[in-house]
Amino acid sequence: MLIPTIGIEVHVELKSNAKVYSKAKNAYSNEPNTFVDVIDLGYPGVLPKLNEQVIKNALKACLACHCKINELMHFDRKNYFYPDLPKGYQITQQDTPIGYDGYLEIEVDGKKKKIGIERIHIEEDTCKSIHSLTGTLLNFNRAGVPLIEIVSKPDIASPEEAVAYVETLRETLLYLGISDVKIEEGSMRCDTNISLKEENAKEFGTKVEIKNIGSITNVGLSLNYEIQRQKELINQGVKIIEETRRFDDNTNTTILMRVKETGNDYRYFPEPDIPYVKLPNEWLDEIRKNMPKLPNELREEYKQLGLNYNNIKTLIANPDIAKFLDSLSCDKVISSNLLTGDILAYMNKNKVSFEQLNLDSNLFVELVSMISNNELSSKQVKELLPVFLEKKESPKKLVKELGLVQISDTDTLLKIVRDVIKNNPNSVIDYESGLDRAIKYLMGQIMKESRGQANPQMANKLLLEELSKIEK
Amino acid sequence: MTDYLSKSVLEINSLLKEKKIKPIDLVNEAFMKIEQNSYNAFITLNKEEAIKEAIELENIEIDNPLFGLPIAIKDNICTKDLKTTCASHMLENFVPIYDATVIKKIKECHMIIIGKTNMDEFAMGSTGETSYFPLAKNPWNSKKVPGGSSSGSAACVSARLCSLALGSDTGGSIRQPSSFCGLVGLKPTYGRVSRYGLIAFASSLDQIGPITNNVMDNALLLKAISGSDVNDLTSSDSEVTHFTRLIGEDVKGMKIAVPNYYMSDVIDLEVRDKVREVMKLLQEKGCIVEMIDIPYLEYAIPLYQTIALGEASSNLARFDGIKFGHITDSYDSIDQLYKKSRSEGFGDEVKRRIMIGSYVLSGDNANIYFKKALKVRHAIKDAMVSVFDKYDLIIGPTNTNVAYDFNVKSDDALKSFYDDLLTIPVNMAGLPGLSLPIGFNKSHLPIGMHIIGNYFKEDVIYKLASFVEKELDLNMDPRGGDLC
Repeated sequence: MLIPTIGIEVHVELKSNAKVYSKAKNAYSNEPNTFVDVIDLGYPGVLPKLNEQVIKNALKACLACHCKINELMHFDRKNYFYPDLPKGYQITQQDTPIGYDGYLEIEVDGKKKKIGIERIHIEEDTCKSIHSLTGTLLNFNRAGVPLIEIVSKPDIASPEEAVAYVETLRETLLYLGISDVKIEEGSMRCDTNISLKEENAKEFGTKVEIKNIGSITNVGLSLNYEIQRQKELINQGVKIIEETRRFDDNTNTTILMRVKETGNDYRYFPEPDIPYVKLPNEWLDEIRKNMPKLPNELREEYKQLGLNYNNIKTLIANPDIAKFLDSLSCDKVISSNLLTGDILAYMNKNKVSFEQLNLDSNLFVELVSMISNNELSSKQVKELLPVFLEKKESPKKLVKELGLVQISDTDTLLKIVRDVIKNNPNSVIDYESGLDRAIKYLMGQIMKESRGQANPQMANKLLLEELSKIEK
Repeated sequence: MTDYLSKSVLEINSLLKEKKIKPIDLVNEAFMKIEQNSYNAFITLNKEEAIKEAIELENIEIDNPLFGLPIAIKDNICTKDLKTTCASHMLENFVPIYDATVIKKIKECHMIIIGKTNMDEFAMGSTGETSYFPLAKNPWNSKKVPGGSSSGSAACVSARLCSLALGSDTGGSIRQPSSFCGLVGLKPTYGRVSRYGLIAFASSLDQIGPITNNVMDNALLLKAISGSDVNDLTSSDSEVTHFTRLIGEDVKGMKIAVPNYYMSDVIDLEVRDKVREVMKLLQEKGCIVEMIDIPYLEYAIPLYQTIALGEASSNLARFDGIKFGHITDSYDSIDQLYKKSRSEGFGDEVKRRIMIGSYVLSGDNANIYFKKALKVRHAIKDAMVSVFDKYDLIIGPTNTNVAYDFNVKSDDALKSFYDDLLTIPVNMAGLPGLSLPIGFNKSHLPIGMHIIGNYFKEDVIYKLASFVEKELDLNMDPRGGDLC
C-alpha cells in the first residue's frame, strides 16, 4: 500500500513596532509605499538594523514549539534576483536558525501525535508585486516585514494530520500574540511537500511541493488531490518527478508551476553587516516566565472541567473569551455555555468584538450564580442577556426591571401544577403507563402557564409529588 | 594665488581664528587650483554649495580645529543631493537622498565639501584605472598612477587642491595611494568609523579613513569621523580618544615588530632600504625593533579574492536597473532587463570580480572556498593580534613598490591584487594601519611605510608616525619635486 509522507513550511508575519531590519512601521496601509525607508529600498550604502522585539517574538514561537535555541546565532544572505527583492538578497538565517529540533502535539480523532519541528528562523518579507496590464508595480510596505519560517519534519502521515498541524500551529501563534496568523490575508502562508512510498519502503518517494494554499481547509483538499494524483500515476507505472505545483481553489486541483531542474543556488554566506547575536539568558527567562497558557494545555484543562467538545473548540478559537473564562472563579460549565452560546451569538449579530463588549467579570459572575441557583430559566436568560450586555448593569436589578422574577412561591406554583394536571388527563395517563416524555410535556405546560417564570426545579419537584399522589 | 591649503590644519585654524582669512578664501583657492590643474582628481565638484556654505560660516563661531576647512570625499560615500557615482557608468547620475554618517559628522564640524573624488569603479582596483571617468594622475609624475582605489582623494591632497580627504580601504585603498602620492593615510580599526552610507564593496573589510598631508591632520580628521553609530551594527562603541594625545611623546622603549614577510625579495630593494633606514633610526632612538615571523600572511591574497569578491558579488546585486542607476533602453523580459542593464552599467573589472565572487559562493564552492577562507581569515587574525602580546606596533613597507606607469597592470587581472600583498592582512584582521611617507626612490617617487597597531590603538600608531615624520622632516610637496 502507498502511504504519504508530508512536510510543511509555514511563513508567519510577526507583529512588531517596526520592520525587522529598519525603523519603518510594520503595519498594513491602503497607501502603497508609505511605510518605507532607505533600508527597505535596499538603497546604496545602507546597512541593516536589528529589531529586538522581532527576536523576542521569534523566541516565544520557538519555546512554544519546544525548540532548542541557538543562543549564539548569526544571519545569512540568500542571494537571488527578483524584482520584489530590493537588495538582490534576503537576510535570513541558514546556518543558525534561532530555534531547532522541536515539536508540536496534534490530535486527530482523539489520538495524539507529536509532529517534529526541524527549525524556526527569522527572515524578512519581500515587496508585494502588483501585476497590471501596463507593467508590474512594487509596494515596499511589505518589504522588510519580519517573518518566521517554521519547517516541520516529514512526520505528517495524512491530510487530516496536516490540517491539524497547521491549525494547532495557528492557534499556538495566536495565543502567543505574536501574529495575526490570517491565512486568507497572507500573514500566515503554507507550502506543503508530499511524497508517496510503499509502506515498508525505506526510502522516501519523490517530493512534490504545493504552493498557493489559501486556507487551512485547502491544506487538506490539496493534499487529498495530490495523493490521488500521485497514486494514479504510480499505479500506471509513471515516475513522479520533482516539481512545484500550485493549488487551484476553483477546481480543487493542483497545477504544475515548474519542474525543479537543479537545486537552487542561493549562494548563502554569513551576513557581514549584522554581528553574531548572543541571546541574553534574561530574555529566555522572562519569556518562559510570561508564557501564556497555550491551546493544548487549555484543552486539557477544559476537558477536566467537563466542558463539551464544541465549547472547547469555540473557546480555543476565541482567545479573548478563553482568557476571560480563565479569570473567572464561578461555575465554568455555565460560564462557557453562556460565553460560547448566547454571548458569542450576540457578538456576531451585532458585529462587536469581545474586547468591545467590555464584559464586567463581577456582573458576569453574578449572572452565573443566579443561573446556578435556579433563579433564572433558560428562557429568561435569553431575554435578559441582550439587555445585560447593552446596559452593563447588575443582572439582579435588570431582572426586576424586566419583570423576569421567578415564581418560587410554593402555593402559587402548586396552583399552576394542579391546574395543568387537571387540564391534561391524557398526559397523566401516559405518565402512569411509564412514558417519560409526559413529564417534559407537562413541564412545558407549566412554563407556558407561568409565562416562563416558574422556577423549573421547584415546579418539577411539585409536579412529581402531585403525580405520585394521583397514583395513590 | 594664495596657498593656504598646503598649510597644516592647526595653522589654517589659527589664521581663521585671527580672522586673517575666512573660509571663503580657502574655498576660492581650492577651486582656482582645481581649474588650473585638477589631476582629474574630481568626478563632481560642489562649487556653488561650497561657496554658499563658506559665506554662511562667517557668522558662526569657530568651535573646532576643522571648522571651515575644505574637504574632498571619495565618490563611494553618499552625499545628500550631491551625485555619488562610485566612478561607474551604473551610478553616473545617482543622487543620494541621504547623507552617510561620516558626512553628517563632517557637516557638524562645519567642514566644506568641495567635491567627490575619482576612484576605481566601486573601489575595485589599485591604480585608479578602472574609473569610468578620465583617470586621476599622480601629482609627483603625471605618467604614474596615483594608486587606488582612492585615487582622486590621494591626488587632490597631494597636489594641495585640498588639505583633507576621505577615502575607503578594503584591501589597501587608502594606504596604497597615500604611499604612491607621499601622504599620510589611515585605515582605522574595523568598526571605528561608521560605514553607513559607504556604498559597500566588501562589507566585512571596508573602512572609511582620512588622507592628509601630515600626521596631526590625520589624527584630527579621524576624531571627527569616529564613533559608534546606531545605523551601523558593526560600528564599535570603543571610546573615541583624542587621537593626538600621544603625538610628540618620546618613543624610547617602544617595541616594534617587523615581519620577515614584509621584507622579502618580492619587495623592491629601494623600498626595503628606506624601511631599514627607519628601523635603524628607531633603534638609535631607543626602540626595540625585531624581525618576526607571522604565519599565514601568504594566504592573504587568495583570501581576499574569496571573501572580498564573494561579498562584493552580493553587495552589487542591488544594481539591477529597477530602482536606481543605469537602466537599459529596451528589454523584452525581466531577465533581459537585468542582463543588459548590468552588462552596460558595470565596467570589466567589476564584472570580473562579480563573476569570481559568484563562483566562490556557488553550490559546493561555498564550502570549498568561502567557508574555508573564513577559517583561514580567523587564523591570520589570531596570528597578527598575538604579535601585540609582545610588541606595540608592526612596521614594514606599505607596498611592494612605488607608483608605476599607467597601463602596466590593467592587462593582468591578477597582478593588480599583488599590490595589496602587504595591506590586505590588516583588513583581514580588522586592525588599524597607516601609511607614512619616509622618503623617495631614485626617480623621486615617494615611498610609504606601514605602521600597524592593535585594535583601537590608532593613538599609538600616530605616536610613532609623528615621531618619524618629525625626525625625517621631508618635503612632501610634489610642487617642489621634479614634475608638476
